[in-house]
Amino acid sequence: MTGRSNGAYPVNSFVVRILGLTAFGILSVFFLLPLAYMVVVSFYKADPMAFYQVAFTWENYQKYFSSFYLNVTLRTLWSTALSAVVVVVVVLAFTAMLTIVELSRKWQLFWVILLLSMMCLSEVIVGFSWLILLSESAGIPRLLGALGFWDDPRSLSPSFGAMIIGLVTLGFSVVSLVLYPQLAGRDKSVEEAARTLGTPPYLVPFYVTLPIFRQSLIALTLTMFVYLLGVFVMPVMLGRPSDWTMTVMISDKALGDANLPLGAALAVVMLIITGALLLLSLYLSRKRTV
Amino acid sequence: MKGRLFLFVLLIAIVLPFIVVAGVSIGESKTITFPPTEFSLRWYSVLFSEPEWLSAMGISLLIAFSAAMISVSVALVVNYVLWRMNTRFSRFTFALGLGPFMLPPIILALGASLFWAEVGWYGRIEATIISHGIFLVTLPLVIIARGFSNLTDDIVEAATIMGASPWQLFITIVLPLITPYLLTGFVLVAILSFNEYLVANMISGFIVETLPIKIFNNVRYGYSPVVASASMFFVAVTVAALLLIARSTDLLALLGAPKKS
Repeated sequence: MTGRSNGAYPVNSFVVRILGLTAFGILSVFFLLPLAYMVVVSFYKADPMAFYQVAFTWENYQKYFSSFYLNVTLRTLWSTALSAVVVVVVVLAFTAMLTIVELSRKWQLFWVILLLSMMCLSEVIVGFSWLILLSESAGIPRLLGALGFWDDPRSLSPSFGAMIIGLVTLGFSVVSLVLYPQLAGRDKSVEEAARTLGTPPYLVPFYVTLPIFRQSLIALTLTMFVYLLGVFVMPVMLGRPSDWTMTVMISDKALGDANLPLGAALAVVMLIITGALLLLSLYLSRKRTV
Repeated sequence: MKGRLFLFVLLIAIVLPFIVVAGVSIGESKTITFPPTEFSLRWYSVLFSEPEWLSAMGISLLIAFSAAMISVSVALVVNYVLWRMNTRFSRFTFALGLGPFMLPPIILALGASLFWAEVGWYGRIEATIISHGIFLVTLPLVIIARGFSNLTDDIVEAATIMGASPWQLFITIVLPLITPYLLTGFVLVAILSFNEYLVANMISGFIVETLPIKIFNNVRYGYSPVVASASMFFVAVTVAALLLIARSTDLLALLGAPKKS
């Protein structure tokens, strides 16, 4: 913030304060309060007739720690971890952006608009388009069948692989857009020095650029993890029921079985996991600046 | 050269699904097939003539527009207060506004759904509008902050010395300079709200059927090529809105890339 009120001009502080309080109030009521209320509901008793009964019980959390949901959580963690790794650590986006920032401004704009569209487009649409592309009647299986590579073409979804493709598609655009300004504005002198000193040009990204961005990439991986943890549509559309993640379970408990307290308890567990990961990510990015 | 090839493969992977969907949407066949054997626009005419699709579209547009209004207003106020006062409280409010983008949407959605049920607004379109407006506030918040950080002290000081009241200062100096940022934030929130499924579905999906909800339900319970034409409609609206931003502002700089040299 450059222009702040250090006596340069009179602060009509009353009006500004009221405005500030209003904004804070709105955010608290519609963002914090629902979360707090969700924590409260997670201690209520389930009641199939009336959403829930006011009570105080650890029952929902006990249910959660029974094997079933624990398994779901582990599987969720595993599959999202996998996708986060696929997205960031395999450095798809990183490599792509390294090339994109070297393109002319016109092509950069093209890619940015493409990636922004991908980021903004509904999961429903992206999932649907992959569903069609992997389907027996319209997609890759049909093409392979027609070309004679596959005798008995069958739909490739729902499957674990299809779900991962969906998650990677979602994650890729977000990671690329976060990396874009960092890579476009980076100081290239170190890379140039490495090249002058005789590092083969194709090794420079691995020996120089990647290590420089290491911490930022780790923080990004964690953020991506949180992001993919919350994806709902892809598992339902492209995955098998056995691939369904915690997000799907929460939604099913809340909407399908009308067991809101259990859904809330699951969401609270997820909130705690998310919080821990975010703190870790914050810690890592703090370290970088020191 | 290798890099270009890699980008080309990526481009194909990103665009290919949509090409197939586009192909399905202009096919004559009643089932989903690609490549289309006969072409027709019947699925588009169904999309733009059947009341249930039209109503879903209308609801989605209404929610997107109103949510964007709320989002940008709150983001503007938070940024303005931060700029004027820069107190610990105003910084905390700003940080609070970053919160929704850090949490998985399912948590926000469930919280909002419980909250609105308790308030008695469960199933009302206003609930979806407010929640979208608040949960998407992060984006305009960050974008408008860039606008405020570009305001230099000397302009403000000059105006103040010339006797401008805070209100005049805001209307004549601040507002014109941050308008591009406000517009960009507005369009982005509108696009995201238009595309959002989970929160809308959890809050009032049974009653307020937005376009993504309708498409999702269609896909889950047997579908026709109308879904493909609806998807292409989405792609068209989203890309058009982004192109609009790109025309009116320096999108690359707005995302944080160095300015044109």
